[in-house]
Amino acid sequence: MTIMNRESFLNNVTANLHRPRRTEGVERPEWSVQPQDEVLSGLSQDELVDVLEKHCAVIHTEFKRTDRTGLAAVLKETVEGYAGKTIVASSDPRNADYGLHDFYQSIQDDGLEVHLWDEKEGKGNQAVAERADVGITFSDITLAESGTVTLFNNKYNGRAISLMPRNYIAIIPKSTIVPRLTQATKQIHEANEAGNDVASCVSFVSGPSNSADIEMNLIVGVHGPVEVTYIVVDD
Amino acid sequence: MKVSLFITCLCDMFSSDVGKDTVEILERVGCEVDFPETQTCCGQPAYNSGYLTDAKESMKQMMKAFRFSDYVVGPSGSCVGMLKEYPKLFENDLVWRDEAKRLADKSYEVTQFLVDVLGVVDVGSTFKGKITYHPSCHMTRILGVKDAPMTLLKHVEGADLTELPAKEDCCGFGGTFAVKNSMISGEMVKEKAAHVSETGADYLVGGDMGCLLNIGGRMRREGKHVKVAHITEILNQH
Amino acid sequence: MSIKLGDASYEERVQEGVQNEFMRQAVASAQGRFRSGKQKQADKLGNWEDWRTLGEEIRTHTLENIDYYLQLLSDNVSKRGGNVFFAQTAEEANDYIQHVIKEKNAQKVVKSKSMVTEEIGMNEALEEVGADVVESDLGEWILQLDEDPPSHIVAPAVHKNKEQVKETFTEKKGYNQSSQPEELASFAREQLRQEFLSADVGITGCNFAVAESGAVTLVTNEGNARMATTIPDTQISVMGMERVVPTYEELDILVSLLTRAAVGQDLTSYVTSITGTRLEGETDGPEDYHLVIVDNGRSKILGTEFQSALHCIRCAACINVCPVYRHVGGHAYGSVYPGPIGAVLTPLLDGYEDHKELPYASSLCGACTEACPVKIPLHEQLIRHREIIVEQEKMTPRSERLAMKGFAKWGSSPAAYKMSTAMARSAMKPWTKDETVANGPGPLKGWTVNRDFPAPAKQTFRSWFKERQKGGES
Repeated sequence: MTIMNRESFLNNVTANLHRPRRTEGVERPEWSVQPQDEVLSGLSQDELVDVLEKHCAVIHTEFKRTDRTGLAAVLKETVEGYAGKTIVASSDPRNADYGLHDFYQSIQDDGLEVHLWDEKEGKGNQAVAERADVGITFSDITLAESGTVTLFNNKYNGRAISLMPRNYIAIIPKSTIVPRLTQATKQIHEANEAGNDVASCVSFVSGPSNSADIEMNLIVGVHGPVEVTYIVVDD
Repeated sequence: MKVSLFITCLCDMFSSDVGKDTVEILERVGCEVDFPETQTCCGQPAYNSGYLTDAKESMKQMMKAFRFSDYVVGPSGSCVGMLKEYPKLFENDLVWRDEAKRLADKSYEVTQFLVDVLGVVDVGSTFKGKITYHPSCHMTRILGVKDAPMTLLKHVEGADLTELPAKEDCCGFGGTFAVKNSMISGEMVKEKAAHVSETGADYLVGGDMGCLLNIGGRMRREGKHVKVAHITEILNQH
Repeated sequence: MSIKLGDASYEERVQEGVQNEFMRQAVASAQGRFRSGKQKQADKLGNWEDWRTLGEEIRTHTLENIDYYLQLLSDNVSKRGGNVFFAQTAEEANDYIQHVIKEKNAQKVVKSKSMVTEEIGMNEALEEVGADVVESDLGEWILQLDEDPPSHIVAPAVHKNKEQVKETFTEKKGYNQSSQPEELASFAREQLRQEFLSADVGITGCNFAVAESGAVTLVTNEGNARMATTIPDTQISVMGMERVVPTYEELDILVSLLTRAAVGQDLTSYVTSITGTRLEGETDGPEDYHLVIVDNGRSKILGTEFQSALHCIRCAACINVCPVYRHVGGHAYGSVYPGPIGAVLTPLLDGYEDHKELPYASSLCGACTEACPVKIPLHEQLIRHREIIVEQEKMTPRSERLAMKGFAKWGSSPAAYKMSTAMARSAMKPWTKDETVANGPGPLKGWTVNRDFPAPAKQTFRSWFKERQKGGES
């Protein structure tokens, strides 16, 4: 696509720096300190789960833990807790591995409406997300320190699923948990360097939406979900 | 050890007792104190107001006055902090560059000198009274002296120390700020005075005369009976 | 709106701020919360100074090579289907955005919070071409309805109380519930959801743009930036040119510094990284994407002693510790950028003429410098501004200039110094009573409105020292 006014703009910038224009060969220096690598370093996967669980209390997020066989039951109980009637979920390739097809079928049989994100339906997906009570996705990378699920949004996992419904459930395979943002950005950086384009939208989501704009009172639930549950699955 | 006293213009004019106390404390811990007569002001009032050229006239006089001193010690974090800025300000001045660095390197605020250079934490003072301490902004943030004053106060026999709420907040002095922006400065010192009152202390102690003039002036205006004392006054009671 | 807000003089603005008791209480309590949140984060990490060092190194390197990184960024945005417009001025930026709006025949534009769009006065420019612009950040929406400018760069409506918010909602939107913040927010959610769903264009700012991939990253808690980048088919991101980072690895550090320093959170609820247009098969996100990179005076700052002011990541940590801000509030600065960083940046971006008082609106206590997560020497830059105002712009009053000339003579002449200190007491005598000056002359007038001034001591130190020496000798 087009880039407009770049030459004059950057030449002016360069003139102010009193040196010739740099168009290539700039390398990042070696930074004198790397404090980010020290955070939660050396913790086992189970210890990271504990950190995540503790942080869930800080970010007003319900924490649950189960294994693959127990996942359907925990999901069902969570959806019921939200009095969910309409569910929108990602059509994640992992749905099959985690037995979610059967789960979605079973709650449909119970009379709930389940919509799996479908590229063929175009904007219809968003319309369902708008009226859905619950959105469900997997986490791609999970950050223990901040209680964050990282979502690589794509044609299976629309941006709206984790955003527009009032309630959001993230399924967190235990193996996706890393200490903090550092490991996630490193992974994205390395993939990018290897020539794999980054997702059109990477969403780092830490609990429900909130605001403190009125007299600094914390209000949980503004534009995005009001309630969030994380389900860690031992894989 | 030979020490030259840097009195600071505020102490010279408004509180000669601070100078006396400083001299006596230094002598008590074994220093020989002289007073280079040609010293004037560190230049800060002009420097902070943007009059760098005018400020430098005073700064040069200070460098001349202390040229032959081994150590320069003053009862003010702010004024000594100013001396520490000289090397940056004379960086491109071939005549004064080295002199500026020499003065900065040998200059210390008095509590900093006692604790960090001499290794003295107890100057042998005794003081009865409830004290709260205001750490001045320039002492802590410009000069970087955070602990020395409290270290010394904690060793004063009989002193009852109580923490000043929001102690790190500026009292509103700021040199010419108090005159140029007197309304804002006035609101700041009201807040500081209220915090001092909250402590119920009999004495407000500080290491910078500017802050003490400001806070003391407000306390007096409010008719409060809290006494204002420079830290050397407390350290010289024995 | 542009950088400069309103026509009131500095003195009028300060007075209005100082007299606004509610605002001052609200600001003081907000500052308290922000500060303790940030402190908790620093304590938790234990090596906050290392984080600051790293932040400073990253910003320094990036600014020194900003031409390279902006070129890389624009190449990558373009590769991912986005249009990139480099705008030297606010006018150029607004012209381009107007052009996109007209081309799309857009009726409704939904915006997420962005300081740079305030700076360039984008909303007014869009209204000129008939677009309905809706702010979607809760605080910004309240202010938009009330036609009031923001007073803080992170908490824009910090100066308003919930009763005022309720009144605004009632008057402008037919609200009929209580002043409970939860009810007010829930009303805003419903109202704004409809705005999102009917918007033709979404406009966001940009916290950080990642050069290596072309990703524009938005840091929010409410989720409005996600809505604005999910629903409308056309999206425009507007960024100050300095908001670029080399790679995702530096994004990590700067986002971590921002959320900790700004609101004391490990991360905000949403950190959203958008790259170009939606890909094939995707059904949300824009099909038409524009990145507008704004200079508007920033390049002039490069290569000067103020370059590090461009390191700013807009966290407001300096604002949250500033005692001057606490007492006068954001509007007193008369700029979209208030507080210490505003006092540094505003004259750089908009000239000294309208903002020459701002560099003096600081006691130089240095709390801002100490708080800054990327180590901008803010209070030192305020002194540099004062030097320019005095020595280059020559904007200070003649009386002050003469007084400082006098200071130079006094400070460089030991004899004059000695004589004046000796005479100070008698000179002050007419105004002295009980060793106190309660109503001072000339420059002391302002001081003595709120506090007493002491009479000079009976004996100067130097005369005492001299006598003591003589005594010792005899």
